[in-house]
Amino acid sequence: MTRKNVAVFTATGCKACENAILDIHYQVSSLARWAHFTFWPYVLGSSWEDLEKSDELDVCFFAGAIRTASDEEAALKLRQKSKILVAFGACAAFGGMPGLSNLHPGGESALCKSPSDDDCPELPPLRSRVAALQQIVQADYILPGCSPPQNYIWAILQSLVCQSESAARISFAASRLPQPIAQAVMAGVLPPGGSIFAGEKAVCASCARIKEEKRFESFKRIHQIDPDPGRCLLEQGLLCQGIATREGCGGLCTGAGVPCRGCFGKAGAVFDPGAKMVSAVSSTFDTTDGEEMKKIAEEFVDLAGTFYRYTMPAQCALLQNRKELK
Amino acid sequence: MANISIGPLRWQAEPSRVEIRQSGESVRSYYQVTAPRDVSSMCKGRPVEELPRILSILSASHHLASAVTLDNLFGVTPPPTAKNIRDALVQSLTFIHHARKLLFLLSSSQNPFGLRAELAVRAGTSPVAHHVLDEIGHAMALAQEAASILGGRHPHPLTAVAGGVSRPVKEIHYRRLAEIAESSLPYALRLRDIFREKIIGSGNGLYELMDLTVSPIASITFSGVEDAIVLTGADGSGSTTFTANKTTDTLEALREPWTHLPFVHVKGKTWQGPISDQSEGLFFVGPLARLNRCKPARTPQAEEERLHLVNSLGPAPHFSAIAAYWSLVVEIIQASEIMKDLCTEEKLTGLEVRTIASNPGGQHAHGALEAPEGFIYHHYQVDERGIVDDVTVLDAASENNALRCLLTQKMVEDAFEHGKPWDRAKKTIELSLLPF
Repeated sequence: MTRKNVAVFTATGCKACENAILDIHYQVSSLARWAHFTFWPYVLGSSWEDLEKSDELDVCFFAGAIRTASDEEAALKLRQKSKILVAFGACAAFGGMPGLSNLHPGGESALCKSPSDDDCPELPPLRSRVAALQQIVQADYILPGCSPPQNYIWAILQSLVCQSESAARISFAASRLPQPIAQAVMAGVLPPGGSIFAGEKAVCASCARIKEEKRFESFKRIHQIDPDPGRCLLEQGLLCQGIATREGCGGLCTGAGVPCRGCFGKAGAVFDPGAKMVSAVSSTFDTTDGEEMKKIAEEFVDLAGTFYRYTMPAQCALLQNRKELK
Repeated sequence: MANISIGPLRWQAEPSRVEIRQSGESVRSYYQVTAPRDVSSMCKGRPVEELPRILSILSASHHLASAVTLDNLFGVTPPPTAKNIRDALVQSLTFIHHARKLLFLLSSSQNPFGLRAELAVRAGTSPVAHHVLDEIGHAMALAQEAASILGGRHPHPLTAVAGGVSRPVKEIHYRRLAEIAESSLPYALRLRDIFREKIIGSGNGLYELMDLTVSPIASITFSGVEDAIVLTGADGSGSTTFTANKTTDTLEALREPWTHLPFVHVKGKTWQGPISDQSEGLFFVGPLARLNRCKPARTPQAEEERLHLVNSLGPAPHFSAIAAYWSLVVEIIQASEIMKDLCTEEKLTGLEVRTIASNPGGQHAHGALEAPEGFIYHHYQVDERGIVDDVTVLDAASENNALRCLLTQKMVEDAFEHGKPWDRAKKTIELSLLPF
């Protein structure tokens, strides 16, 4: 059995994605039957020199957003070195929460003065905007989520690392993977390029809350109400993004009584998550009077930071079209 | 002048490296965090009630610290059940946080992945058998399950909201929590035995940890019950106490141009940089800081282990890496015992888990928490619509930044003096930074 060369790396992020790999009930150690972890700085202390010396990587799991010139350089190096590059987690896939900094360009970077002492080491230059991995290099597969759930981590490992070597792949093929991925996993071949390891529909499809097609008269905030545990949060006036977000988490947030914030990115049929949400929410206003609609709309706060909480750099169509950001 | 770069450093949550400037007989190190967290940019302009979810990017504990700050902002007191649920979550997070560090320590001299690890054990080059690591991993998996039940998900929890938690613990979940709590204490005691056998009593390479120490500096801890932040002097005496709302009057964050991570230090003391011999104004937080307060542990078996530590290493304060690792063991036992006590039906079950704010809230609030990683503090300034104008977050990483720089400098000087290769120095630095 040939073991695959595997790398795991986080650019700018919180390491939760890397810990999530370790947290697959620590069966990660048994992956050594199929994987040879050749580059994993966080866990193995691997250096960039180790990477240069190593053979070509079969699979690289890249987590974190692209915030600095070093992150960009790492993305380019790992793309060049890897047969398969996976955007692992919401930050790599869409820019994640660090992408919210794009609403306040400059941010903390303004506080970092240039070194006053000549001996003082320099910091890698900051990019003017946070970017997702796909905005720098092409990723072959995407595993969304903040952090990705364990069942999908297992699925992607079975699919890309173990392939036909592991009999357990069949049980993952039977889970809620999209059909083309499930078929590929079952057959022990690579899924179609660009596949997203998550569901195809919106979170609402897997959310257990009952939707009654009710309309609401005013917008509510989570500290103002104790929502009914069985009813749709959006219909209770809370901004829940399940309707625009790709499923795969099984309605984790809504099940815990708080609204979805879209860490799986936009659902397959959605062009722009913010536009979808504006359309969906405005259609639930319980009035046809223009003035009243305006009054309700004015109650909403921070639509950009809410609707693009995890996806500002990669999925906000308005920002994508602005010339200065290209 | 020679420039040496060591990194990226293993086990650090922030992307970090050590830059070394060597000139003649002198050597200076810079512990450098190379990317900003920039949480203030993420938080400004957001509705304040969203901050527990946004700030959990720093660590799961910040989710809870943020909820405490919201309680203060809206002037609401969580019902007792909600407080217990939050406390149980802190205990689960403590178990996970400390166990992960001990797991990294125990697997530090080998590749922890499978076959190679087994071969290393058989060849006698690795002190820790692979099944022992798996055993710790299994205990962590159970604690993660508890954290997911209590916090909604792991590692970024979401159930803590202003006035309590977003949902009660279901009967089926309560039963599972009780099972996990019951099994976690034996795991904690097993971990204690492994630590004693493999680290303290083995005389193997990891015993070198005994030598890793830093010059005495002050420490800070927080007591939620008394709302008191205690600054303990470097010699273990002369403590100063202040309340959470006086934190920014007492502490401040300073920036150096060569790292993105700020340095939190005591206001009014001259800032001489993090590698100065003059440590006045510097402090650290975390399990060892809590140990250095010389207070008895909250539970019997943890107290027994704390006394064993004191008998072996001497009375507090301690500044060695071995004491820092040992304090993790003490706190894992304590977390397991508290968890077992909390997981009684009357403490975790009940439908009353939230107090809804009856007023629009004030315009600023403070909150503090003694988290697994150490004292953390939040301050929010909001406008009349509850939109965040400004946030101040003191996290354990920036509070321990100076200590990390001091440790790094010491290890680099030691390597330089004894002519150790830099790759060996890197491992020593990583091991010394891990428990803080």
